[in-house]
Amino acid sequence: MNGLRVKFIRGEEVKYISHLDLMKVFERALRRARLPVAYSKGFNPHPEMVFGLPLSVGVTSEAEYADFGLEETIRPADFMRRLNSQLPAGLKVLDAKKKITKDNIMASITMASYRIMISAEEHREREFLQEKLKEFIERPAIIVKKETKSKVRDVDIKPMIHQLCLGDSKEGIFTVNSLLSAGSSENLKPELLYDAFADTFGHGIKLKAIHRTGLFVNRNGVMVDPMDDAVLEGMNPKR
Amino acid sequence: MTMNNRINDDILRSVEKPARYTGNEWNVVQKDVNDIKIRFAFCFPDVYEVGMSHLGMRILYHLINEREDSWCERVFAPWVDMEEKMRENGIPLFALESHDPVNIFDFIGFSLQYEMSYTNIINMLDLAGIPIRTADRAEEHPFVCAGGPCSCNPEPLAEIIDFFILGEAEEVINEVLDIYKGWKENGASREDFLDKISSVEGVYVPGFYDVQYNGDGTVKAVAPIKDKYPRKVRKRIVKDLDNVYYPEKVIVPFTDIVHNRLMLELFRGCIRGCRFCQAGFIYRPVREKNPEKLVEYAKKLEESTGYEEISLASLSTSDYTGLGELTEQLIEEMEPRKVNLALPSLRVDSFSLNLMEKAQKVRKSGLTFAPEAGTQRLRDVINKGVTEEDLINSVTIAFEGGWSTVKLYFMLGLPTETFEDIAGIADLGKKVVDAYMSIPKEKRGKGLKVTVSTSSFVPKPFTPFQWEAQDTIEMLMEKQRFLKDKIKSRYITYNWHEPELSFLEAVFARGDRKTGDVLIKAWEKGCKFDSWGDHFKFEKWMEAFNECGVDPAFYANRKRSSDEVFPWDHIDMGISKKFLLKENERAYKGELTSNCRVGCSGCGAAAFGSSICIEGD
Repeated sequence: MNGLRVKFIRGEEVKYISHLDLMKVFERALRRARLPVAYSKGFNPHPEMVFGLPLSVGVTSEAEYADFGLEETIRPADFMRRLNSQLPAGLKVLDAKKKITKDNIMASITMASYRIMISAEEHREREFLQEKLKEFIERPAIIVKKETKSKVRDVDIKPMIHQLCLGDSKEGIFTVNSLLSAGSSENLKPELLYDAFADTFGHGIKLKAIHRTGLFVNRNGVMVDPMDDAVLEGMNPKR
Repeated sequence: MTMNNRINDDILRSVEKPARYTGNEWNVVQKDVNDIKIRFAFCFPDVYEVGMSHLGMRILYHLINEREDSWCERVFAPWVDMEEKMRENGIPLFALESHDPVNIFDFIGFSLQYEMSYTNIINMLDLAGIPIRTADRAEEHPFVCAGGPCSCNPEPLAEIIDFFILGEAEEVINEVLDIYKGWKENGASREDFLDKISSVEGVYVPGFYDVQYNGDGTVKAVAPIKDKYPRKVRKRIVKDLDNVYYPEKVIVPFTDIVHNRLMLELFRGCIRGCRFCQAGFIYRPVREKNPEKLVEYAKKLEESTGYEEISLASLSTSDYTGLGELTEQLIEEMEPRKVNLALPSLRVDSFSLNLMEKAQKVRKSGLTFAPEAGTQRLRDVINKGVTEEDLINSVTIAFEGGWSTVKLYFMLGLPTETFEDIAGIADLGKKVVDAYMSIPKEKRGKGLKVTVSTSSFVPKPFTPFQWEAQDTIEMLMEKQRFLKDKIKSRYITYNWHEPELSFLEAVFARGDRKTGDVLIKAWEKGCKFDSWGDHFKFEKWMEAFNECGVDPAFYANRKRSSDEVFPWDHIDMGISKKFLLKENERAYKGELTSNCRVGCSGCGAAAFGSSICIEGD
């Protein structure tokens, strides 16, 4: 099918919009821009539009992705320009490319990276936090309670944490960079990771902000940007 | 985020639906405060989702913002969780566009859509740090004004609101703002400004009127304190609706709201004259907009918003003379754009198969009918010119067209109602089910669902029933139980309203200035969001009445004599008391009064010189 993939940012201005509402924002922007997006049939037609991993309310991102089905061909650069002219402050398309693969963005995502900002009022020493993070990640298992629709079960999130390290710090606000499993098979929300860490840490730290820095597609064991040409063409990498 | 006060992430993260408080929606109006002279805070005393659904607010917001010298911003009642955080952190009530506290504004304007939002007005003033009573406000405070249907009896709020705008505000508001600009430059007193605007037709300054009471608690007289103020304050209307301002852009919210669609206003007023319906009288005379003009608006609004649904907003949509032409053109224009057409409040008697099928081409949804009463006798009393045959014909057509969800609205406690009339509601419900069953299975839609809803009759000012007593709460409950027992069909669901809320509505709809103290007292006891089930504290209200020495039954359950002076008699909504009394007498005789198109019944609205009244002669 004729389609496009776009990469966009979700800034501070729109971070409190739910995933469902964000889709509506895009739907109406597409209409205003008169973009030739394909619609489903029936009494209640919807645009063919698939978003990557939903973001929690309150989280910002510099790496969001969406796929659009098209009714007519349009140059990706034109699509991006026209869509941007109709998006509210805080949402901006950074890149648009033709998509040939049938794989949609939602099904392809396997990992996500986040910047988690923590304020540590009572423990301002960097070394202390560093030590705590090390202790946390070196535990044989990190068991958290995960709620599903019907029950609460214990889950070991350790295998879903691929990277966890301390970044910059400023005036008692520390940055923790993380790379976590994401997508339909295994998914670790950064809030859950933070809660687990805060539990072991005890009182004295507070979550300030979460920012998504990347989403990745797994291609033969290699983590690749969803806008990568090989991903969009759906070809296997040549060896 | 550009939050320039203390509404920080910690707070927003801890409340339900934070997008209610962040603003920045599409088509929002931002201005530089240095370039403007007048800041207007348009306040809706309910949550964002309710307030944003209100067409009047959307019109006036953009109308004021058309002025280069003014900036109108929106303010909604923060939900209880947000209010708690705001009070905890000393954050005053703020406007959504600038996030500035509203107490620095020039005007605070409240929209009065229902009586049970009055405590939210008090709460919002308090949150803003503005004295609740007019008498306590000083030079540094904004002027607090109000408009909307409830201002036809402004008296319960007389000591809270500085001035009211009666009727349609489009013209009045600009005149008031013009006067304000001159007044502000001269730096005169608050009273001086109120004095100046009191000569604008449609402006009512309650502080300039004195009320005297009789020994039995009824009103003896309401008179202006100075001869120069009008003895009767008359509402304003816009004569030419085709050339009145209508926004070509409206704000598109980020979160879902109650009416999340474009609204086209087809006309104002109503030709019908159902005797219980306040809206049917206070918005007279009927004035229609040109269908071609409406289609133009629809196109422009769709382009500027990207909305996927458009609805026709008026009191009785099927009475619009150009409805066929309009819907045809709208469907033609909107179908290729994949925009739905929603048809609300259709009357059962003029319900046309044709129109239904046209709308069906776009989407099929549930149908609503409002017979209001269960027997022909009572429907004649209320002048609801609808017969059982009309209803059954209409639902049969609907069922044959594939609809299977029907809602029926009724009222309990109407004047002269007997238990026979109530049994008639159950019968009517059953006949609707029978109509469905009489259609062969293969020709009807699946899954019949009939919902019967009853509300409690609330006698309202400027209706022929303004003299009537409301049933007591006990009586209304007994009637609900009676009806519940009468409904046997498993296809029918019965919903009813809490009579306690309707009782309070009846008190404040016809309340005088004495009831204003009760509002403040109830608010002090924690009453707010009264129409939000969980937050309704009936016992607190009763305590408040008690402590203020005000008997609510005097206002709700007392039948007035025909010569009683009403608290709102100095307000002129264009409907004469003589006409209403005549209509009341006709109601008791079960006599129907023809609608405005068939013949003029002399209500008084002809004085506004609108076309329908003149043609009717």
